[in-house]
Amino acid sequence: MSYFRASDLSVRYDQVRAITGVSVELEEGDIVALIGANGAGKTTTLRAITGLAGLASGEIFLDGQRIDGLRPNAIVALGVAMVPEGRRVFPFLSVMDNLLMGAFLRRGRRAIAADVERVFERFPRLRERRSQAAGTMSGGEQQMLAIGRALMARPRLLLLDEPSLGLAPMLVQEIARAILAINREDRVSLILVEQNSRMALRVSSRAYALETGRVALEGASRDLANDDRIRELYLGG
Amino acid sequence: MEQVLVNGIYLGCQYALIALGLTLIFGLMGVLNFAHGQMYVLGGFVTYYVYGVLGLPFPLALVATAATLCVTGALFDKLLFRRVLRRGAREESSMLLAAGTALLLESLILIVFGEKHRGVPSLAPGVARIGDAFLPYSRIVVMVLAAALIVGFIVFMRQTRIGRGLRAIAQDREAALLQGVDVERYGMLGFAFGAALAGLAGSLLVVISGVNSGLGTWISIKAFIMVMIGGAGVVSGAILGGFILGMAESLGYRFFPGGETYLMLFVAMIVFLAIRPQGLMGKPWG
Repeated sequence: MSYFRASDLSVRYDQVRAITGVSVELEEGDIVALIGANGAGKTTTLRAITGLAGLASGEIFLDGQRIDGLRPNAIVALGVAMVPEGRRVFPFLSVMDNLLMGAFLRRGRRAIAADVERVFERFPRLRERRSQAAGTMSGGEQQMLAIGRALMARPRLLLLDEPSLGLAPMLVQEIARAILAINREDRVSLILVEQNSRMALRVSSRAYALETGRVALEGASRDLANDDRIRELYLGG
Repeated sequence: MEQVLVNGIYLGCQYALIALGLTLIFGLMGVLNFAHGQMYVLGGFVTYYVYGVLGLPFPLALVATAATLCVTGALFDKLLFRRVLRRGAREESSMLLAAGTALLLESLILIVFGEKHRGVPSLAPGVARIGDAFLPYSRIVVMVLAAALIVGFIVFMRQTRIGRGLRAIAQDREAALLQGVDVERYGMLGFAFGAALAGLAGSLLVVISGVNSGLGTWISIKAFIMVMIGGAGVVSGAILGGFILGMAESLGYRFFPGGETYLMLFVAMIVFLAIRPQGLMGKPWG
């Protein structure tokens, strides 16, 4: 049985089906990508996993434990952290306070301070801006902060929703490198949602292509990157 | 003129305390607490009872007031607002509920404490002279207590884990949820703190001018004015709004002893909101 398994997820918003029968699996230590156009159901799938969206049907297991139906704060406590779409840093809290919010459920000042230090080592820009209000930073810096904040929870499974959205190509590279480093060094399993399919297929080992709320195609990322249909639809020919 | 200034600062401290509680509840829950004035009155009566009737020390009365109002606020949230907010897709539902809770609380206060105006013995007899202005010692005590409560509240919100969580909810509820904040529990906590701030302001008032069950609506209106001047849901705005209203009232009563002061304040308010509808500090909560 897989480390993480979401099977047959369906979510409805106001009677409209947002996703139907979506299944996603992940082995421990893996990176899995969800790709697809706007409105394909990628974000909804992540929201269902974190408990933000209620399931009409389906079940979700993490490390053998059933987590669907739990409240979002309980799911965070089990080690699932999410970097939401649009970063969603707390705009009027300082960088430091944003990071401390990430460790909200943790105890132990010393361990938390050590993890703040690790985030600063990974993203030195955040150290320079530690007492600045998060909302006054650039998009790239906010994305680093959002990722750092999620890492402060010491997650076992990290969900990233469109981390490259709106960033300059150079920053996209930096975020991609950070994702790989987090996966390897911190041994965090990752589900990456991206419209930037090229980047997503490069860093992930498996991928799912979503279309209008269903999984249209799944497989090894290397194979999908060479699939004619994927190339045409998502990689621009 | 110095008298006007001294009175304005004295009023401002009290008003800011009232506005802080209202803005806290609004920032966290998106609920305009119409019963804020009634909570203030309830605080006044609890203090009247503990300090005035039972003759216990004033600090104990403050503690009893804070505890009573915390429970009241928490119950309001748990039994009423949480249920309506969870189901109600329309904003009007919580507005109507809020208006209803004001009537409910006012009636309960009337039943329990009666309709008489109640006062308590002065905290400190005597009058201080500041330049050309006079200020009774009891008002100085009240002013210092109000200022200390405001500072304490700000430090609490900035320096503690709970305070950080509350600020996070006010800024982005869903992102706070994703950090593991139990937003329902913290919403209840925020409601309790907001109610306690209103009640403590009432405790201070009863020392100066006494309290009666009909004061609530007028206090709520003043609190709404302050929060609208400052910007709803902003701590600095609430404090600023409190001092602006205190100063305006003090100035008005100096030159217009009758009811014209508030007439002019409301006209000024309408003009101001037409120009700057978000208030002076209008932005999400921080």
